[in-house]
Amino acid sequence: MPKRILTTKDVYIAGFFLAVVYLLFENVLTGPAEFALWLFGIFWAYLLVLRGLDYYRIIFSFSQSFLVIIGFIYDFFVIVLRIPGLPRALALFLLPLMTVATIAYFKENIIAPMRERKLIHLKVPFSKKIKAAVFKLDPIMWVFIIVGSIILVVFLLVPVLMMLINAFIVPPNIGDIFYNFERIFTVPSRYVRINPLPGETFYRPIPLSDGTVEYVITGVNHGILLNSLINATFVTTVATFLGIIVAFVLARYSFPGRTLVRILAMIPLFVTPFVNAYVISILFGPQGPISWITQALFGFKIWIKGLAGVALAQTMAFYPIVYMNAYSSFINIDPSMEEQAENLGSKGLKLFLTVTLPLALPGIVAGSILVFIFSLEDLGAPIVFQESRLMSYQIYSSFTSETGIVSPEIAALGFVMLFIAVLGFIAIRSYVGMRSYAMISRGGRWTIRERRLGPLGLAVVYFVLVPLIIFTALPQIGVVLLAFNIIPPSGFTFQWDKATPQYFLQIFEDPRIFIYIRNTLTYALAAVAIAVTIAIMIAYSVSRVKIKVVTPTLDTLSTIPLAIPGLVIALGYYFFYSTFFPGTPLDPTTGPTVFQAWIVLIIAYSIRKLPFVTRSVFAGFQQIHHALEEAALNLGASRSKVIFGVVMPMIFTYILSGAIIGFIYITTEVSTSITIGGLNSQQAPMTFFMMNVYKGTTPKGVQLAASMGVLLILFQLIAILIVVLVFKQRYAFIGV
Amino acid sequence: MTRVKLENVTKIYGKVVAVDHVSFEVESGELFTLLGPSGCGKTTTLRIIAGFEVPEEGKVYFDDEDVTFLKPYRRNTAMVFQNYALWPHMTIYDNIAYGLRIRKKKLKLTEEEIRRRVKWALELVKLEGLENRYPLQLSGGQQQRVALARALVVEPRVLLLDEPLSNLDAKLRIEMREEIKSLQKKLGITTIYVTHDQVEAMSISDKIAVMNKGRLMQYGTPREVYFRPHSLFVADFIGRSNIYTGTVVEVGDEYVTVHLDSLGYDVKAIPVKPEVKGMKKVSIVIKPEIIKLVPPNTRGDNVIVGEVDLVMFLGEKTELRLKVGEEKMIIYVPNYLEPGIGDKIWFQAPPDHVIAIPEIPRGE
Repeated sequence: MPKRILTTKDVYIAGFFLAVVYLLFENVLTGPAEFALWLFGIFWAYLLVLRGLDYYRIIFSFSQSFLVIIGFIYDFFVIVLRIPGLPRALALFLLPLMTVATIAYFKENIIAPMRERKLIHLKVPFSKKIKAAVFKLDPIMWVFIIVGSIILVVFLLVPVLMMLINAFIVPPNIGDIFYNFERIFTVPSRYVRINPLPGETFYRPIPLSDGTVEYVITGVNHGILLNSLINATFVTTVATFLGIIVAFVLARYSFPGRTLVRILAMIPLFVTPFVNAYVISILFGPQGPISWITQALFGFKIWIKGLAGVALAQTMAFYPIVYMNAYSSFINIDPSMEEQAENLGSKGLKLFLTVTLPLALPGIVAGSILVFIFSLEDLGAPIVFQESRLMSYQIYSSFTSETGIVSPEIAALGFVMLFIAVLGFIAIRSYVGMRSYAMISRGGRWTIRERRLGPLGLAVVYFVLVPLIIFTALPQIGVVLLAFNIIPPSGFTFQWDKATPQYFLQIFEDPRIFIYIRNTLTYALAAVAIAVTIAIMIAYSVSRVKIKVVTPTLDTLSTIPLAIPGLVIALGYYFFYSTFFPGTPLDPTTGPTVFQAWIVLIIAYSIRKLPFVTRSVFAGFQQIHHALEEAALNLGASRSKVIFGVVMPMIFTYILSGAIIGFIYITTEVSTSITIGGLNSQQAPMTFFMMNVYKGTTPKGVQLAASMGVLLILFQLIAILIVVLVFKQRYAFIGV
Repeated sequence: MTRVKLENVTKIYGKVVAVDHVSFEVESGELFTLLGPSGCGKTTTLRIIAGFEVPEEGKVYFDDEDVTFLKPYRRNTAMVFQNYALWPHMTIYDNIAYGLRIRKKKLKLTEEEIRRRVKWALELVKLEGLENRYPLQLSGGQQQRVALARALVVEPRVLLLDEPLSNLDAKLRIEMREEIKSLQKKLGITTIYVTHDQVEAMSISDKIAVMNKGRLMQYGTPREVYFRPHSLFVADFIGRSNIYTGTVVEVGDEYVTVHLDSLGYDVKAIPVKPEVKGMKKVSIVIKPEIIKLVPPNTRGDNVIVGEVDLVMFLGEKTELRLKVGEEKMIIYVPNYLEPGIGDKIWFQAPPDHVIAIPEIPRGE
């Protein structure tokens, strides 16, 4: 009998078998028995590869390799948190697939290159390699590489390491060095609660005095760690779906008023920390417009708060990130890819699912992973909704404790957050990197695929999509209305007669409030100057010199702050300065009289927002063909003359737009501002003031905080206009 | 077997007339080429046939069926794109099977039948055994073959090729064009081919349509287009041509005699259109390769003498730039000749291959 050809199906059959066995014998399969089942799964997958399974089908497939990446993160938490039942069966189901992918990865990336290296007989001695590398570097390049590396190591790697070390500090006689982590991963505990507390439901009806019912939607508490994970996963999933749909319609269909809708869809991108979450809490509050509608239609009110409120606010705030990424992905697909499918008879949903979506997926997930990280570290929504049962809130509140001392347990929590974020980031980045070829086209015509909508399509756009987009823009609109007192600080009515610019003027006139604005502006300017300097050094080195290990590491280090939650930086800086500069004005534990928050904040800002600046500067350097520089070098110019005299003037607009984008992200920064900044409130920035307004249950000074939100919107609007209209560049929004 | 007919097809983009009242007919089983410089409207014409564009005016027929407004996915054409448009997220097998899977229900195909047909297509383009690779693992030539197999496997009514060889290197291009021609003849499939490469067009086509600025300039067999260009544009675009303006001095049955003032010769030429005979000023086209070297002081029609101005050895032939009167003339002579600068060359341009075009270059 001829040997049957193994396919991907066999991998899934293996997974299915494991899952079924687990579900059938769940009670018996504990401890070593279950471990044996996992081992058996791995062995099975290994056998499949041995018998000639074509693993290319998995590692080259857009969807399956994506599943593998998600699978790793999923299985990790299922195992660590000892989650039983169906979720665990699913983890087992994914096991063979992940094993095959891992084996494939090792074969392709480690064994195959080793074999190839053996085939090359010519061996270049290490000393000659060094010589060749040194030859390429002149003094200024040395300075760039060394200074750039030192700054990133000292102000990024060491602080994160300090947090890590502190996570393993355990008081004597309490437990082993993993004690802090064990506390977090104990089931059940306040960190992980797989079965919710008795009596806790997703929503509960409350009868009101007037006979109607109010449904309070809170979500279910699964413990701090799981809450954060579930919340981030939910927000990412919904934001991704929403982003894809909106992006696809706006990218591929033309209808009257599309330009306006496109502009509307950008509005949620304006970051107004705390205030927009507050507007959402009003909109979905018992007196909000949503309650009016449900009251009128169904006779009950709704009130979304707690975890559900956080998820809602984050979804509305973050979905444009996916939308922007998806939009440019759809626009960048070579039209002939879809035309070919159409030519072969494909159309509609089939065409979308088989060709369009797979090709756009890398760009889309690049946006999704950022939403995931942002959701994980977001403080705005949790503080406004008073939801402390999230990792981000826990880390934040440790800074505001009476003692002013951050415990090692929080350091461990920060490490867990960092681990999730960085793991996801690196996985997605390699996934995207492997597949960016999808966008490479080899000439040919480029007629943008755009179709006019039929009557039914128009109806859907105007009655579903447009209201949805307007709805997601409501928080920003609400911020403006609040600032000018058109809607009152609580409740929801329009009081046009009471409209006043008084609050907006007050934030400039009242010196006790203006100090926050002044702080933000001076810090942002200083941090941008530092970030631009570092960005030029790193971007130039990375774009011009290729030294094994060194330049790729530099490149990764300058982009990785995107994946590092701001709270982790805050924790890292806390431990870094209190360890190395104890008792000095740099030590956060010394309290507001001694501690000079501004120095630490400026450094934190410049490192955190470095990727945005670096990316723009790097794009500039890439525009300049190296022949332009070589021509100058050939004519006798020194390297520094070339950089500052030839290259920099040419990429001036790139540097400036990088600086502007960096400035915007710094002015709206929350995590380090309200933690480190909070340790010396006289030196805190605007976002700290805004946070203070909303952290209590009855907010005071809502209009003032909203006015600051309006000010931030103005900054962002001006920045976008400068970048787009003056520099004629795309407003580079975030992506991996 | 499908006949394709275009009637007065016109496509306008904004203020640009991309295709300007183009009509032609492609017989079933014929390999028809749209040839022209970039931006001449040839690709737009092809896209109108595929259904990606709808013409502002005119009709497209497949046999007698009006398909002008038929959606691209209902036309059953198969197009090979310039960049191949292979889907990078699918294996070679999945790429080729795509069209069949879409037609699965309509044609009542089983997965086994699809497998058989994909195998057939892979054999046709000599790519057996690469089913499970991904497009980016293949070379440019192999990708080209996959694109061709994907188009052929659905048994389309019309095969559409949009500059399919432009991304290949010179040697591969020659190989592939031979292969495309023999495949097309073997399968007898009506094919419309777009290219800007005249050699490619000449070698592969049954019929050629030369386009310029959206208009169909000339339409005929490769030989007709080559030897009897109807316009200065075609004469200039196809091959190299020496073009001179002159005055008609004598009109015969078969030939006209034209006095070329700048050369100082009377030249006998074939009029490409009857109206040449009624005109005063016409253009004369002498292709460099039609000349015959003759011994010095030979007498006869169109015997010309020129002084060598520049010699370029091209390998398979030698190109000479001569000074004839006040004009320059390019001629090709056998590669073993090594004339020196200033040598006198005697040659004849046989009247059957010299043509008179009823048009003079702009500005004269």
